[in-house]
Amino acid sequence: MRRAIHFAIALAAICAAASLSCFAADAVQVQIDSRKAGPRSMEPLTERAVLRDYRFAWASMARALEFNSLDPLQGPFEGDAQQWLKNSVLSQQQSGLSQRYVGQDHRVEAVFYSPEGDVLELHDTVEYQLQVSAGGKIVHDDHLTMHYVVLMTPGADRWVIRQLQAVPRF
Amino acid sequence: MRRFFVLVGVVLAGLCSGIASLSAVCSAQELRMPEPVPAGDDAIISAGGSGKGTFYLIGPGISRKSDVNLADDIRISGQDLRNAGAYLVIVCSSSCESGTLYVTPAKPYSLAFIVHPSRVPVARNDAVSGVAFPFDQYRNLVRTPLDINFELGTGKGSELSHSARTQEGAAWFRTSSGKSAEILKVTASLGDISAERAVQQVASDPCNLRITGGRTKTGIVVQTEPVHDCAGNPVPDGTIITFTAEGPQGKATVDAPIKKGIARAAMEGNGMETISVASGVVMGNELRIGAQP
Repeated sequence: MRRAIHFAIALAAICAAASLSCFAADAVQVQIDSRKAGPRSMEPLTERAVLRDYRFAWASMARALEFNSLDPLQGPFEGDAQQWLKNSVLSQQQSGLSQRYVGQDHRVEAVFYSPEGDVLELHDTVEYQLQVSAGGKIVHDDHLTMHYVVLMTPGADRWVIRQLQAVPRF
Repeated sequence: MRRFFVLVGVVLAGLCSGIASLSAVCSAQELRMPEPVPAGDDAIISAGGSGKGTFYLIGPGISRKSDVNLADDIRISGQDLRNAGAYLVIVCSSSCESGTLYVTPAKPYSLAFIVHPSRVPVARNDAVSGVAFPFDQYRNLVRTPLDINFELGTGKGSELSHSARTQEGAAWFRTSSGKSAEILKVTASLGDISAERAVQQVASDPCNLRITGGRTKTGIVVQTEPVHDCAGNPVPDGTIITFTAEGPQGKATVDAPIKKGIARAAMEGNGMETISVASGVVMGNELRIGAQP
């Protein structure tokens, strides 16, 4: 009986840990359309990998900006995108601000895929609820539709975001 | 029962006051946002009120909070607007008002230019490709259509000149490699901005592989004639040539690298031997060497 209880507790702990680690990525919905990608066409496996890594990158960015932590930015971001995100987190730490992205829903279109498959450009139309807190008090809470131009390159084990630029329209 | 209703009343009152205070925080106020500004330029925002307020600027690479006079224009320094993108502007006094300021890339300043591959055999169709992205001085991707000129040339002159207009910030080309084994310079230029890359063109597979040979006291020595590709470029030293001898004692194979343009191998065997030569999938002539007298 005692063994069964211990087993149940262990199972519950594993489930809780697993659900916590997956929570952030699950909260980010991404649909990708690669039909217009060119000059190289995108293989289904590549499309799936890009979708997985893009979703993870946004979940990581949301975590970094909500908890003012630099750790989530290591890996999914490189180059200029990583630099400005780091600067955002550091300046949020100084000014006592934080941002919370809720209910992200991304509709992503691949618009350029280089001949050798080493650069990918995406257009992302995303909807989310953005909450900005200053010293624990919410000063902004709004539902937004934003457009992002994204450059991704393949890294050692994943696709990384190198450029993430919001634009008024595509 | 009465205690229960009191408790419910208190909870409801708390909820209502929470909602009311939240709506008060976010109630309207007049904020006049400028048109999109180029990266690095100052921007001026008018809050249109009176008294003191708190100004928040949240954008790519920046998160700032400062006290402002609502009657005065709020000037945002170009230093804070170097990254192109969307900046959220919030001004709070008794309530908060927000707006989005877009920063667009400045004029092109540099080209990110990727060329593949770094080494390529000569005379290969669609073997060389390149992609160029224009960026401004703050490393923002410039998306307005621009004509980028790609030039490929060797020491002997230009082999290709091709102009491509950027679409969504990207321009690209693809072409065949040249005929001679030498450095191919690939240049992308946009006005007075340019980026240069180099591709090493190397000899292609050997062509007309021919061997000569003869018997020695201890066996057979065979060697190739100088190894060239079909365009006449010498195949680089180190390329492996495979010699195969077939005779009464069976089959023997020797791999030999090209040294100074020629591959040479010594093989055993004192009977009638047939020697063949190959490099990758390319076959050469066959040589028959008689038995040792």
